[in-house]
Amino acid sequence: MTRKTRRLWLVLACVACLGAAAALMLKAFSSDIVFFVTPSQVAASAPPPDRTVRLGGMVVAGSVKREKQGETPIARFDVTDGQAAVTVRYEGILPDLFREGQSVVAVGTMHKDGFVASEVLAKHDETYMPKEVAEALKKSGKWDPRFGPPPSAASWNSMTVQDAKKDLAPAGAPSGAPTAPPTSPASN
Amino acid sequence: MSATPTLVARAGTFFHRYANPGRFLKLGARLQPWLTWPALLFTLAGLGWGLFFSPADWQQGDSVRIMYVHVPAAMLASAGYAGLAVCAVLSLVWRHPLADLAAVEIGPVGACITALCLATGSLWGKPMWGTWWVWDARLTSVLVLFFLYLGHIALIRAFDDPQRGYRAAAILALAGAVDLPIIKFSVQWWNTLHQPDSITLTGAPTMSSSMLWPLALSTLGFSLGFAAIVLARTRAAVMESRIRSLLSSPRRRGSNAAGDAA
Amino acid sequence: MTHLPYILASYGLAAVIALTLSVGAAVRLKKARTRLAALERPTDRTTGATPSL
Repeated sequence: MTRKTRRLWLVLACVACLGAAAALMLKAFSSDIVFFVTPSQVAASAPPPDRTVRLGGMVVAGSVKREKQGETPIARFDVTDGQAAVTVRYEGILPDLFREGQSVVAVGTMHKDGFVASEVLAKHDETYMPKEVAEALKKSGKWDPRFGPPPSAASWNSMTVQDAKKDLAPAGAPSGAPTAPPTSPASN
Repeated sequence: MSATPTLVARAGTFFHRYANPGRFLKLGARLQPWLTWPALLFTLAGLGWGLFFSPADWQQGDSVRIMYVHVPAAMLASAGYAGLAVCAVLSLVWRHPLADLAAVEIGPVGACITALCLATGSLWGKPMWGTWWVWDARLTSVLVLFFLYLGHIALIRAFDDPQRGYRAAAILALAGAVDLPIIKFSVQWWNTLHQPDSITLTGAPTMSSSMLWPLALSTLGFSLGFAAIVLARTRAAVMESRIRSLLSSPRRRGSNAAGDAA
Repeated sequence: MTHLPYILASYGLAAVIALTLSVGAAVRLKKARTRLAALERPTDRTTGATPSL
């Protein structure tokens, strides 16, 4: 009986110690665990041009310029975290999810005239909605995907494809009133 | 502190009610169909719904359907390891024999589901992110979980004396449980390529309900299926240990050779 | 561009793993059950038949 109790306390103590050790270690290494740096971090202290960094942020709306040099497409776009923006130059085919307003991670090096990416990864957010619902939100002016994340989930996550289609069909959308409650701040 | 011994003892008696193999086998046989058939029904319904009837995502298109496999697998990978940790406490503190047998059986099933999670994640990441694999915190911590499972599988079978294997594996399972909160919160604590959780306890799910329902259904199905497979394997293990003790008992020595020859 | 191969591979993998695990468990359970039944039933016959022990 007492042996079992002692064993229980021993196990609990070991788990607590281990948890504390792991937490401290993670705290110490947390800057290395980060997968990407933000544009404001790069702006504050630019990494040396020989070091490969991953730059993460949102593609600024209207900043994407595509051109072709022979066969290879070249894209230029600004990546921002809301405070600073860095211009990225990338040679190659961008991933399917790439668009203005999308979060991306660009792998490459920082030069004087901007960031030269050797790889661009698209980072999608945790928002899952049918195409039709997204269209309806865009049409009603609640959301423009180029400028930020969608409005609060409660305002659309129960909207069905049928509701969305109803909203889309008549441009003024007088019928679908109950399904799309007018959320006050279309915040981003 | 004075109350703990009785509590510990009472918990022990409760756990040991089902340490009796006969009682466990009887209960397990009764429980099995209630796990197996709903598991099959819910998994097929959830995956069928997800594959054919749920809408395509606004940015990911049809690739979002991989979610209905990936997310339940990811949840179960963690939940299975949590099960291992519970078994480890039962084994270390109360020396519960069934907890050891269950730990032996959870390991391979959990490793398979973790491998499924990693593989479907890769298959999802390639078309969406543009890469099969990145070393971000979420992906790496799940890979660590996979190796913890493999280590547990190896360790629990590594000793000639099974009791020593049970002890060592239980310690590994408990130590490895540190990885579970890291997996869960990796997407909040650090910048990762993996997106944060869509379903949280605190906020509304940032997922259309037309996708949430099939996901919930297949998660339920996967969980029941995991439980059903672990239960079936544990029942088989209990029977096998009974067979071994029957074969090695001195009363049966005479028929032992005949049984082996057959 | 369609991502159908990735989707099908995911579902196929899930099916293969689920099938392997469940069939394996079922076969193992069945084997253990029949073996145990065979061992437990003829107890009285063997105790009578082996007077040497």
